[in-house]
Amino acid sequence: MSAAKVKMREKKMRNQPASVQYPSSSSNVESSTQNGADAPGTGKNADPLKGGLSEVHPSTERQKKTPHQSGWVRGHHKDGGGYTKEMPKYVTAGAFARARAAEVSAMLKAVRKTTSSSRVFEALPKHMRRRAMSHNTKRLPHRLREVANRMREKGLQAGSKKKKEQAKSKSRKARRRHGNLLLEFNRRQRKNIWLETHIWHAKRFHMVKKWGYCLGDRPTYKCYRACYRAMSSHCLLQDLSYYCCIELQGDEDKLLAALSQLTSKEAGPTFAAALCLSGRRQGSVMVYRAGRYPSQPLGPVTFLWRPRTQGSVHRQLWIWAHPTLKQDLLPELQTVCQCCEAVLPPAAPVEVNPTLEAENTPEAKPVPGTKRKRSRKDATGPPAKKILGDGTRLPSTPVSWRSSSNGIVINDLTMEIVRYRLIGPQSHSVLVDTLEAATGCDEVPKSQTCSLWWPQHCSDEAKMTLHQQQADIFNILKGIYSTAELPSGTVLGLTVDDPRLTLPRKRVKALPCVKQAQEVDEEKRRKLMLEGVPEPCCQSFIWEQSVRDNVTDNKISEQELNRMRSEVLVPGSRLSPTPLQGRVPILLVEQPGKQVGHEMSSWGAGWDLLLPKGWGMAFWIPLVYRGVRIGGLNMSLKHSQNKAAPHFPRDYPDCPAGMRFQEEQEAELLNKFKRHPPAKRTNYIKHGCVAPFRCPWQQLAEEWEIIVQEGGSQTRTTAQADAVTEERTSQQAISITKPPSRFTVLRNRKALKLLSAWCRPTTSKGQRPCRVGELPPISCEAVTSFLSAHAMSLVWVHVSLPSKGKPEYHAMLCVPTPDDLKALGNRQGTGGPQEPPHRDHFKSRIKRRKKDPKKAATPSVTPDKPDGKKADLIFASDLDTNASKDPKSFSESSSDLVLGLWPDPLPSVASHCSRVTVGWVTQGDFSMSAGCGEALGFVSVAGLLNTLLNQTSEHKGKLLLRNPTSLHYRFAKINIEV
Amino acid sequence: MVRLKSRYLLCEVNVSDRSQLLLLDDRAIMVAVKAAVARTHGDYGAAMCSIRFCVKYLNAHTGIVFLRFPKSCYKLLWSALPFITSIETRGQKIPCFLNCLHVGGTIRTCQKFLIRYNTQQLHRMLPKCKSEEEKQQVRKAILSCSLTESKEAFEEDSESEEEEEEEE
Repeated sequence: MSAAKVKMREKKMRNQPASVQYPSSSSNVESSTQNGADAPGTGKNADPLKGGLSEVHPSTERQKKTPHQSGWVRGHHKDGGGYTKEMPKYVTAGAFARARAAEVSAMLKAVRKTTSSSRVFEALPKHMRRRAMSHNTKRLPHRLREVANRMREKGLQAGSKKKKEQAKSKSRKARRRHGNLLLEFNRRQRKNIWLETHIWHAKRFHMVKKWGYCLGDRPTYKCYRACYRAMSSHCLLQDLSYYCCIELQGDEDKLLAALSQLTSKEAGPTFAAALCLSGRRQGSVMVYRAGRYPSQPLGPVTFLWRPRTQGSVHRQLWIWAHPTLKQDLLPELQTVCQCCEAVLPPAAPVEVNPTLEAENTPEAKPVPGTKRKRSRKDATGPPAKKILGDGTRLPSTPVSWRSSSNGIVINDLTMEIVRYRLIGPQSHSVLVDTLEAATGCDEVPKSQTCSLWWPQHCSDEAKMTLHQQQADIFNILKGIYSTAELPSGTVLGLTVDDPRLTLPRKRVKALPCVKQAQEVDEEKRRKLMLEGVPEPCCQSFIWEQSVRDNVTDNKISEQELNRMRSEVLVPGSRLSPTPLQGRVPILLVEQPGKQVGHEMSSWGAGWDLLLPKGWGMAFWIPLVYRGVRIGGLNMSLKHSQNKAAPHFPRDYPDCPAGMRFQEEQEAELLNKFKRHPPAKRTNYIKHGCVAPFRCPWQQLAEEWEIIVQEGGSQTRTTAQADAVTEERTSQQAISITKPPSRFTVLRNRKALKLLSAWCRPTTSKGQRPCRVGELPPISCEAVTSFLSAHAMSLVWVHVSLPSKGKPEYHAMLCVPTPDDLKALGNRQGTGGPQEPPHRDHFKSRIKRRKKDPKKAATPSVTPDKPDGKKADLIFASDLDTNASKDPKSFSESSSDLVLGLWPDPLPSVASHCSRVTVGWVTQGDFSMSAGCGEALGFVSVAGLLNTLLNQTSEHKGKLLLRNPTSLHYRFAKINIEV
Repeated sequence: MVRLKSRYLLCEVNVSDRSQLLLLDDRAIMVAVKAAVARTHGDYGAAMCSIRFCVKYLNAHTGIVFLRFPKSCYKLLWSALPFITSIETRGQKIPCFLNCLHVGGTIRTCQKFLIRYNTQQLHRMLPKCKSEEEKQQVRKAILSCSLTESKEAFEEDSESEEEEEEEE
């Protein structure tokens, strides 16, 4: 019986009399005396009173002592068969009378109390029932009223407890009042920050809590294909405000010297790249821990230099990083720049503090009695303000750090700048349609210039000419045909009018206007396309903290704007003159599209729009009204997949953030897997899939290193290599001698180029000739020398399936045997080889454990554990010969055995299946741009080179791909794209 | 309503030596009844006796037993009860017979009957008492089971409320 059942039964039976009898065990002397046994025999000489007392309720007492053993439980109790000697010799009349009386009282109790859990009126016969009897006890017969009243009171008490909590919340009207609503919103984003577009998103998207933010994952409506079409032909909008911006200020040479420790020229252009340094382009770079170039990567960042101002070496740099990267990056930057002095924010930080105070004071001031209402009013006197920027941060947390030695200042601008991304060839026309270069203000009344920034700038001639130039360039954008025509990473600074003023009355699709395109000067357009934006025009006032704050503080509220609109003489006409507050400095950054490969080049290019905080919704709605699609996190993953670019935490398994992501993903997938009933789960052991939820990259790299060492320079078939692995893994299990070195992802440009040439950089259709050029051809010597440097590396590959098949994540990339390739040559149409199904040796163990749960659960688990592990390793090493071996040898080792999953430790991952595994896919899907399955993943460099050496030239770069849920191998072509 | 209906037999175990009564346990009585039924009614009876037959309550001091039989065949099983002449328990054979006092449809009626019966018996005992001490004790017993009604109810109430509080 379960515990709950026992408890229920106990409750039901507590008033029922138990059998009164002498226990048959001699050990249980105490209870026998308690049963009133002493009274008849020994009671007289010992203490009749006590005996009598104990006998008055013999049954009830016993019941309390051992409720479980009372006579109501079915079956005989096995207490042992001894005969008790405490049995009395004779019975007196008095004892007998007492026993009778005790029985009577026990029975009385049993009869009096209701045993069932039913209400009182339910016990009445049908004809005596009345309407609303449970509500009004007076409808009950008199004799039952008392009991019913008691029950009713109990019910009310229980109910009132629950209701009390509900009653605390105010009426809906009060809750929806603006100030209260804002307070509530501010409370709700204490743990996970909301973006400025949160409410808009929350109405339309499935929200996920990730990385300390509330982010939209995917829309609730069906729009997968529509979003893809938007990306490839019109425009898709995303809110990327969750990306963290870190600002570095200091002298140029000192900044570069500090930052050079984080990067390496081998992995591509660094922070010092000339075009980026001038501020004309945005750059992207891979950041490593200081001075640890190949081994300890942190992650990719994009960066933006502020254009130089005349005669100053003081520079400003923005580094944009993913939130999961920020926690690693920020300390690293601090050590590199020697910025350890935290600059405390000024006494009353402008925007964060008042809101927090407004939140806290009502709770902090429990003023008793009458004054309460007033004090509350006072506390909320400064009206509850929406949190702008990072609300979760304590106001005292430092956001900027200064170095005493080299004068570098690091500012954490997280949530200070809104970043929107527009993806698609028409994103420039959306921008041009939405934004309008700021109109100057002619009448500058000197009296009120103090607060607003724009009138001040208007008075400055130089600034106005710059603004004019920027506006001109912005107008040229109307003339280009696709966003991708511009040089990648182009930056354009601009000041624009409030886009709410030009909001169309209906949602329209922004399309390039041919007429306007012809108006634009051909010469200027060509210049823009070739050279990008000239350096001075990349300047923007968004770089300046004071201007940003000014703009944020002086934003016209929606309500005010609507009031002004209503006062316009002709309804629906444009507001004129434009209110002075409506000028916003922005920064436009061109985002490069697909840069690698030969097909669909610069697919998915777009613009990033940087705004000062607080203006998020003011720009969002006008953009949405231009007919763009909105994408969530899901779409950004697909975007990078179509671009064949690694997606940040997912495709960086060697970075700390990537490792964390892998762990989270494993837990999530395992959870999902376990939610299925066991019979409906995929048995991954039978499919020969060792790690369906996580890729053991380290193990793969180690195994391939050993294989290659064993193989030396000889050419060997994969079958031999297979045998070697098995041998080696068994040896490895016995003695792990080598200090484990971490695997890394190969990011050395030269090495990547060489590899790319070796696996014949063909397109997915394999039409174009390779451009090997001056690179050395693949040979044993070249391979060994290459491997000496990068033996423990993985390489990022792009996989395309020429025939059928849709790759999924964690699909295996395997080496085809020569027979497979021959078969491929003979019959082009065949799908590929099949994996013979594996046997699940753990199934019997799970079954056995289920059968006798006690045995498996309690004694045998702990001592057998090391033994079981060893047995597992042996088992892994000779899988086939051991098939018939008695499964008892590996006892119930791991308690967390899940049907269909390999328990830890995993067997050899490389040689587990009939085809040797070289890597796994990290993201894969049917690619709508290529019309076939495409995937991105990593393969072991050693494994790849070993394969390439053995392959003939016409089959070079062909691998097999198998999904974790399938036994079918598909041929796949890999490209390494640099 | 749909339910399994049973008959509850309230029996009294009569023995010549009352001290032997204390040796009884529910298991022994069950075995004895089964054996008697098997002897009188053969396999059919034994089979009937194996379904839902149960010794619900046994008081070894007074020799009161509640037996539960399925309603469909309780007469058949009842008819076997007089043939019980001895009960074997703890290695001893107790010569006895079962005297059926009451047949009830619920255990509650049996309990009610038992209350009445016991008080009646106590009242009968009183005049037969030989010594003054005995008389005193019996009188006390009678008082304890008759006077308590109101007092007990009160006690129980407080008791049950305490328990409920603990539960919460």
